[in-house]
Parts: sequence; C-alpha cells; structure tokens
Amino acid sequence: MSENTLFIAENPNGKPADASLVVGLGDLVLTPDMPTSAGSKMLAGFKSLFPARVAERLQAAGHHIAGKVNIGEFGFDFLGETSWFGPVTNGSGSLTTAAAQLLAATSVDAVVGLDVNGTEARAAALAGQVHVKPTYGCVSRFGTVAIACSGETVDITARSAETAQRILDALAGHDDADGTSLPESECARVTSDGFDQAATAGEVFAAPVAHVKVARGLADTADDDTKRLLDAALDALRAEGVAVSDTAPATDELLKVASTAWNILMCAELCNNVNRFEGMKYGYQAEKCQSIDELYTRSRTEAFGALTKTAILYGSEVLAADNYDRCYDKALRIRRLVSDAIANELAGSATSGEAAGQTAIILPACAKRSYSCDDVEANPYLVFDENRFTAPAAISGLPAVVAGGVQVIGAPFSDVALLRLGDVLASAVSAGKEA
Amino acid sequence: MTAYETVIGLEVHVELATKSKIFCSCENGSDAEPNTHVCPACCGMPGMLPVANRQVVNLGMTAGMMLNCDINRTTTFDKKSYYYPDLPASYQTTQWFAPVAVNGCVTIDTPNGPKDIRIKQIHMEEDAGKLVHDNLTFTTLVDFNRTSVPLIEIVSQPDLRNADEVEAYLERLRTLLRFAKVSSARMEKGTMRADVNLSVRPAGSDELGVRTEMKNMASIAAIRRAIEYETARHIDAIENGTEELVQETRGWNDDAGQSFSMRTKETAGDYRYFPDPNIMPVVIDDEWYDRIRASLPELPEAKRERYMTEVGLSDYDADMLVQSRAFCDCFEGAVEAGAAPKDAANWIITNCAGVLNKRGMTSDELPVPGNALGQLIALVNDGKLSSANGKRLLETLFDLSETEEGIPDDVAALADAEGLLNSSDTGALEAVVAAVIAADPETAQAYRDGREKALNPLFGACMKELKGKCDTQVLRELLISELMKS
Amino acid sequence: MDRDTLLKLEQLNQLSLTPQEQDETLAFFAAREADWEALAEIDTENVERMVYVRPMVNVLREDVAAQPFSRDKLLAQAPESMDGYWQVPQVL
Repeated sequence: MSENTLFIAENPNGKPADASLVVGLGDLVLTPDMPTSAGSKMLAGFKSLFPARVAERLQAAGHHIAGKVNIGEFGFDFLGETSWFGPVTNGSGSLTTAAAQLLAATSVDAVVGLDVNGTEARAAALAGQVHVKPTYGCVSRFGTVAIACSGETVDITARSAETAQRILDALAGHDDADGTSLPESECARVTSDGFDQAATAGEVFAAPVAHVKVARGLADTADDDTKRLLDAALDALRAEGVAVSDTAPATDELLKVASTAWNILMCAELCNNVNRFEGMKYGYQAEKCQSIDELYTRSRTEAFGALTKTAILYGSEVLAADNYDRCYDKALRIRRLVSDAIANELAGSATSGEAAGQTAIILPACAKRSYSCDDVEANPYLVFDENRFTAPAAISGLPAVVAGGVQVIGAPFSDVALLRLGDVLASAVSAGKEA
Repeated sequence: MTAYETVIGLEVHVELATKSKIFCSCENGSDAEPNTHVCPACCGMPGMLPVANRQVVNLGMTAGMMLNCDINRTTTFDKKSYYYPDLPASYQTTQWFAPVAVNGCVTIDTPNGPKDIRIKQIHMEEDAGKLVHDNLTFTTLVDFNRTSVPLIEIVSQPDLRNADEVEAYLERLRTLLRFAKVSSARMEKGTMRADVNLSVRPAGSDELGVRTEMKNMASIAAIRRAIEYETARHIDAIENGTEELVQETRGWNDDAGQSFSMRTKETAGDYRYFPDPNIMPVVIDDEWYDRIRASLPELPEAKRERYMTEVGLSDYDADMLVQSRAFCDCFEGAVEAGAAPKDAANWIITNCAGVLNKRGMTSDELPVPGNALGQLIALVNDGKLSSANGKRLLETLFDLSETEEGIPDDVAALADAEGLLNSSDTGALEAVVAAVIAADPETAQAYRDGREKALNPLFGACMKELKGKCDTQVLRELLISELMKS
Repeated sequence: MDRDTLLKLEQLNQLSLTPQEQDETLAFFAAREADWEALAEIDTENVERMVYVRPMVNVLREDVAAQPFSRDKLLAQAPESMDGYWQVPQVL
C-alpha cells in the first residue's frame, strides 16, 4: 500500500478530447470496468457487473470518469482514516480525504460519491471546497453500495459551486430502479433549469436565501477558529443583504441529539447491509475454513476494520428485541422531531422585508479547522461525536451545502439556492484570505 | 391416567404464482438449472435496490380475503437478519410490523361438524435459496434460483387439535389458494410448506405446554407422522420425565420417523427486525381493495351447487369439475361458447383429464381455454370432426399451448389446417365406398345375406382409406345403402 | 454490556474481537448509555416514527420477468464454486 492513495483504480480508457469535466467516483459507487472496494479489505478488487446510475449519467452528460477514489471503510468514518488503502494527508500533514486531496492537488474537477455520514462534507469544509448533499431522492442510489439507506445520498465535491451544480444537473433525475427516487418533476427542481423555472413560477423553494439562522447550540460546541470562520461568513452574508438570526433554543436541543439518533439508525442499517459481506459469494474469504460458521466469522473478522466492527456490534445491539423500543424506535421518533424542528425554522421566518427569500440554517461542518492522524488514533470513535454537525442533514434527508468552510441546510429542493449562497460564502472566504 | 390434548398451530409458506420475483425482475421458476434465474440483487451482490412486485401485493390481498382476513390498508416491509448460505443478503425482507392481512378464519369439516380455525396473520416475504449437499466433496452447493421468489406465510392460531384437523386445514388452504390462483400450493413441489408448532397439555387445561416447532414439512403424510411422534414424545416427557421439554426448533426425519433437535446458537432467535427504508409503504385505497374483492372466485362449494341445480350436472360430474379451478374455468367457458353442459363436462373429465394424466400434468394445469373446447365440441357434434380426430385436435391444443403463439382463436380453422376435418366431398366418399365393396365382394355378400357384423370390416376399410376424416354416421348410412343397391 | 454479552453479540454478527478490541468496544458501549439516557429524556410519546425521509407510497413495479444475468459472470468472483453452484464447507 502506498502512502496517500488517491485513486484505488484509474480508468483504463483515457480521457476523450471532448470530455466536459473530469470526475472521480467515490469507492462506494459501482463500476464494471474498475473495481469497487468500498474502502474495505473485504471487497478489495470486487468488480460489479453493472454501473451505478450516476456513473451512466455522468458519461451521458459528456463527463469523463477518471477513476475510483479512496474512501474510509464503507464510507462512514471521520475523514477516510479507516480505508484499507490507507489514510490521506494534505501538504501540511493534516488528515484529509482522497477526494479533497484530488481537488486540491490534481486536475480532477469533481468527486461524486455516497454521503453516508458527512465525511466529504467535513473534508470540503477543511479544504475550502464546495460539497453538496442533495435533497434525498433526487439522485438515484442505484448501483451504490448500500450502507445507511434511510439517509445516505449521492454527494458531490468540487472546487466551485458552479462545477458542483453542473454535476448535479447531470445526476438528478428519476430512476425506476431506486424505490426512493422521487418523480422526475421533483428531481428536476435541483437542476439549474428546473430551479429557474420554479423561481419564475414563484415557488418558495426556488427563492434565493434571504435569511440564515445560526444553529447556535451546535456552533458553540466548535473551537474558536471555527466560530471565527462562521462569524466571518455571517458578516459576508449580511453584506449581501441576507438577514441573520439564531435558531430557537428548543431547536438547538434537538439538533444536538440528532447525532445520537443518527448513530443508532446508521449503525443498525450498516450492520444489516454489510451482513451480506460474509466471504462466501465474492470478496475476501479466510483460508482453510472447516465449517460455514468459521468461514463467516474468520472472513469478516480478518477483513473488517475496527471501526466497522464496532459499528456492526452497536447497530446489532440497538435492534435487539430488548433495546428496540428505547433505541431504534426512539431514534425514528427523534428523527421526526428533528425534521419537524428544522422545517419550522425554515418556514417560520417570513417577515415583510424577507418575503422574497427563503431561510437556511447555517452551522459549521466540523469542530476544528484541522485534524491529524493522531486525533483519530487517540479516539477512533471521533466520528460518532463529531458528526453532530452533519447528522441533522443526514437524519432529515434535507439538502446541505458546504462552502467557505461552513455548512448551510435548506428546505427540500433548495439545493440550487444553497449552492448559489455557497458561491457567496466561498467568494467571501477567498476574499478574506487575500485581504 | 391423565388425558392429554395436543395443541397445534401451523405456519404455512406458499410460493406465489407470479412471473417474476418479489424484489427483482428475475423469472420466478426455481426448477431451472442452478443459478440461472439470478441477478446481482438475488445473489447478494451490492448495488441493487428492492422494488416490490405489485402482483405480490395483489395475491397477498387475495389470499387474505379468501381466508376472511382484515386487510391492513397500510402494509410495510421489514428486514430480518440471520446468516445462512441460502440467504445471500444475510437478511430476509418480510413483514413484521404491518402484515398485509390479519384476523382471518378458515372453516374445516370435522367428525363433530364444522370448526373455525383462526388465522393470526398473512405476511408477504421472499423465499430463500436451496442447498445441495455434495457427498463426493463433502461440501454444500448453493443455488439462488429460489431466492426472492415471493411467498406468503399464513400463520394460524393454535386451534388445531389432531392430525385429521391439520390435514383438513391444509387441504382447505390448498383449495382456496388454488381457486384464487394465488399459488399452485403443491407440497410435493415445495410450493406449499408447513411449520408445525405443537404442545401438549392435560385435557381441559387453559395453559399451553412447552411448544416445539418442526420446520419445512413437505407432505401431509409426514406431518401426520410427525404430529403423532411429537405428541407421544411430549406426553412421555411429561408423564415419565424422560427428558426436559424445551422450546426449540426441531427437524423431522421422515425416514427414521423421528424428530431431532436442531443445533441452535444461544443467541439465535433475535432477528433484529427493522423497517426497510428502501421500500415505501403500500397503501391500499378503496378502489384497489374493491378491485381485488371483485376478482375473488366463486368458492368450489357454491360452484358445485350451481352446476347441479342451475346447470343440471350430476353430482359426480360437479364433484369432478370443482376439484380444479382450471376445470371450472374451461367448463364455464365451453358452455358459454355454446357447448351442452353434459358434453363439456364429459370432454373435460374424460378426454382432457386423460391428456393431462398422460403428460404428467395436474388438473390445475389444463391449458385449454373453454372457448376452444366449446368450438371443438361443436365441430364433433356437427359431424365435421370425428370423435377420434377431436381427441387428436385436443392433443394439438395442448401442444400449441406450450408454443409462443399459443392456442388460436379459431379452432375450426386450426382443425382444417391440420387436415383433421371430415371430408365434405360426397363424391369422394361414394368412390371410396364403391372401391371397398368392389375389393371385398365376399364380405359384401355376407352382409347382404344377413350377417350384420360383416359391415364392420367394410366400415373399417373405408375409415382407413379416408384417414378417419368423415362423419361416421354419414359413412355408415352410405355404406349400407350402397351394399343394398348392388 | 459485559464481556459475556459482548461475546454473544460477536457470535450473532459473525465476528471475533481481540481482547483489546473488546475493551475498546466495551468502552464505546458504556459511553452510549449516556446517549440513550439523553434520548430517553425527550418526550416522544405522541410522535410518529419517521422511517422514510421523503415519503411516497406504492412504489411498485409490474410483474414482468427480465432476461437473466450470466451465471458465469455471477460466479466469476466466487471464492469457491462447482458445477454452477457457489460452494461452501458442508452445512449439516
């Protein structure tokens, strides 16, 4: 294993001369011509018999798939540190993801992956890139390795909001092969064209963001550098005429438990979904097994990393008959409360001066401005706490955009409005750096 | 001596008669070559997402209504986790929280009169694959053709008391499900399988004894033997303390006539059920509910009664027909096409059944539509088709049913194209009769001399010459008149 | 969660942790108790469960059979196969 593996496989077919954008695919996205390892020894070298829908759509739109991008095992860790192919650090030695590093150091324009637990959102926030987790159901998950289906979405990381939008335009659309895929008319709302038509028609989700509410309860748990970055972003937005206020304390309390509830839901689904990786049908098989139980147990024990094992065990425990009501069922109800609280915050702001715009929630994407490999070695379970900033969007299926180091969450189908706001945030930060 | 009562509940798994599997588009047909009806989804590869088959819901509702259940107007799918080589995703998608049908009831006949067996619930789920044990390599081979074939599981309350009642219950289920075309419900083919939950208690007690479950019983005879064996084992344990009864899953070895404890891990039995977020709830509105309700078949008892009182069939004929939904459909279609009920019944019970038997098919597999049989009967009755060629035509219809084109609408045209119709050319008929008489003057003279049996070889010779293609009544009359002329 | 319970949980999930992994996992589980207590304090008595974040109903497909996949391709990545079957140690 080489240090800083960015691609685990590169496209054997070279880039066509007329290719539009150059895109990497996160390693939970299946491709028939390149292996899909899901960051795991269990699937190292696995080749799908069919491509993910998003891979097809990228190619249909004239974009070039450059290769398969290294990720943490099953894509739910903090910053890709659990990858079988090794973690990735940036030029200054800080922990980053292969996707963020590809955008920082190569000509790759964008990385399309599966956002299970906010990994690339954190990486983009740390690297000053743009990340979008679209409204759940607008981009088909067909052909992605299922981990936490109730909340995960295809995601996009790019250097600019404009590029992210071009990719989203290519990806969004209904798919009969994904039972959670929204009707075409709704998917189209997150594309530039569909959004602009809706704006002309006066649809609220297509109005520009005119009001941001700071999720103060969560923001205050970040370090001072992060809070200063958030304050700078708020100043930039105010300068653009965006109103700024705080979310209600009751909302803050719910946002703070979103992570706990999401960890329960995510681990339970992960446990169930990776059950299928048992060494029998494909992938890693332990040698010289005498019984089927030995084959299962040794294959999984030898192939899965420590964080995955813990997540599997935790996910199994929260579903145990004795725990189901107080854990899993409880988490499903908390998901409702969190989603309702966010919806109330997003809906209840229309004062006269802001009537023309919609509301978004703004918060950091992680607690610090940089992390080292030591941080995750000292606390391998860091992600289960630090995902508190990304859990609200994951658990509610709402769109979220990271730009300029901060995160905005909006109403369903506000993706384009958020990306346009993200453009402002990104410019403000880069202007601030230059100043 | 204490009298004991056996308390039995059944969980009956029934494979649904759909074209495709429940969550992927693979063909539903597990008899094929191993692993030829499989795709990445049903062999547990990553990436595919489940999309439920509408017809599975239709058949689940149909079964629920046939068994007098309440239909849950919102029904959902859940995941059940366990490891076994025949379960490629290591979870089964089933219904745990909101099954399609609940609170039903099936009435069976017992020596003490009719008895209601309550149905707790019916849920829809996917079947598992098949394991083949290879004794040369001492390995197990895995076939996923049956994986994700749609099933319903019919869970009864513990209302059954002996093997006779269990048999009556299973036969009643089989009849109702076949009549509603929910399933072929054939235990010998594995499209119907039963888990037997059994406990024993002193007669008159309200408390249930320790329950054991015998899984995947594949014939009614085996179930009878297992119930007898297991009842005796329980009583022996209670009376003589031969062993401590524990709640467990047991296998049944029909060759040895014994049940045996299946090694289960201490931790097994907690399946970690939770709702599948990839499969949206199924909401059954009034329109859908009413449509399924309207599609339910007339029950066999009602048909039998109607065939006798309104249609005028004998009780024998009516009994024979109502054994099979396909027989009833064919019969009613033939009558609607103009056939006399008695003729239609005879053709089905005698000729169709004969062909089915010869081809190793069951009565439910009768492939001939009533309209086609009605046309065939009319051709015979009108003298356009000999009875023997009618049977040949019936075979042709069976053959064609297995082709892509299927059975044509116009059976007369088919008979004509096949060259089976009687010749309508009386000149040709007369020429044949004349030639036959000329070729055998001695027999002809014997007939004229009063030996009536002498007609038979002459008639046979004519039929041979005509290759059977004539109205036998017309031939007979012509032959006699020609003989008497000369 | 004690070591015996954890061992059963491992078995149920076909895993076998090292003593060190067990220690770490037990510590993780112990920390989750506080999480669960925090959730318990939130009143969810009359709150509807949210399984689906963008609810739809009756997402069903028609009962049409598709062409099968190639068995050879499906089996090509099997660690062990024989005569068109996946092959595993004998299951009794």
